[in-house]
Amino acid sequence: MSEPHDTQPGAPLPQPPLTFGAVVRRDLRVGVVAGLQTFWDLAKVMIPAYGATLVLERLGVIAWLADLARPLMEALGLPGDAAVPLVVGYVLNIYAAVGSMQALDLDPRQVTVLAIAILIGHNLVVEGAVLHKAGMNGFAFGALRIVAGLAAAATANLIMGLV
Amino acid sequence: MADLLKTFAAGSFDLLLRVFLIVVPIMVVLELFEGTKAFRAVVRAWARLVRHVGLDERSAAPTLIGFLFGLAYGGGVIVRDVRRHDLGRRQVFIMSTFLSMVHAIVEDSLIFIALGASLFWVVGYRIVWAAFVTLLLTAVAGLLVRRYRL
Repeated sequence: MSEPHDTQPGAPLPQPPLTFGAVVRRDLRVGVVAGLQTFWDLAKVMIPAYGATLVLERLGVIAWLADLARPLMEALGLPGDAAVPLVVGYVLNIYAAVGSMQALDLDPRQVTVLAIAILIGHNLVVEGAVLHKAGMNGFAFGALRIVAGLAAAATANLIMGLV
Repeated sequence: MADLLKTFAAGSFDLLLRVFLIVVPIMVVLELFEGTKAFRAVVRAWARLVRHVGLDERSAAPTLIGFLFGLAYGGGVIVRDVRRHDLGRRQVFIMSTFLSMVHAIVEDSLIFIALGASLFWVVGYRIVWAAFVTLLLTAVAGLLVRRYRL
């Protein structure tokens, strides 16, 4: 029996300590709910973005952009055709980019330089949508990843040329 | 047109399945272990590292998830934590910039290492580059915010 004076009126009643099993069950429930909520948040932005990338690809936007990016490849010490996996990576994803890299004949240094550019900038539509959901500007971050990725690749190529 | 829709349907299913199979377990594991000593020790150790790019302790967990598993999954945890306790625009900006430069460090890097890329460049150099870009952009963004009261 507790004293009637040791709690303020209106203060929360002392709770019995939760058992280990109860804590695990509560955490599992909260985790599944948070997981489903996050899954739904991501699905709502990723699926339309994925549809848009398929349309872009179908309209020939990838081929057109790759032609534009061709001259840039020289600055990275890469053959012009390397623009194709780069742009495929930007619009689609890393797996698609790797697939189209297989078609090229690159030396290890060129593979590394192209890998740096693609690892920094890829899947820009879908991942941009996720950043948008987090409250950022997906377009600005897409542009940043292209520019910073190319700059990182160019810098790496220069350093590798020196050593 | 029909084959485009078929690709879209199959691709969407694939994407949703992958996201589901990764996001739900991550959230459950996070929820189960978030309170444990071991988890807090890992997050604190990680927080000591990412403190140097301007991230505080509350941003450490979402950044770690994104760094290990990918931008979409880290982004999911960021969205969750923004909803639970407002992280602040500055922290979300820093996290987004850092994770834009480097994420899914194991899976993405391994794909290119398998193709013959150098481990040092695709992992070590990329992390240093990410820290550099994050510090640079945070400074620039800070200047712009002060100058134009954004």
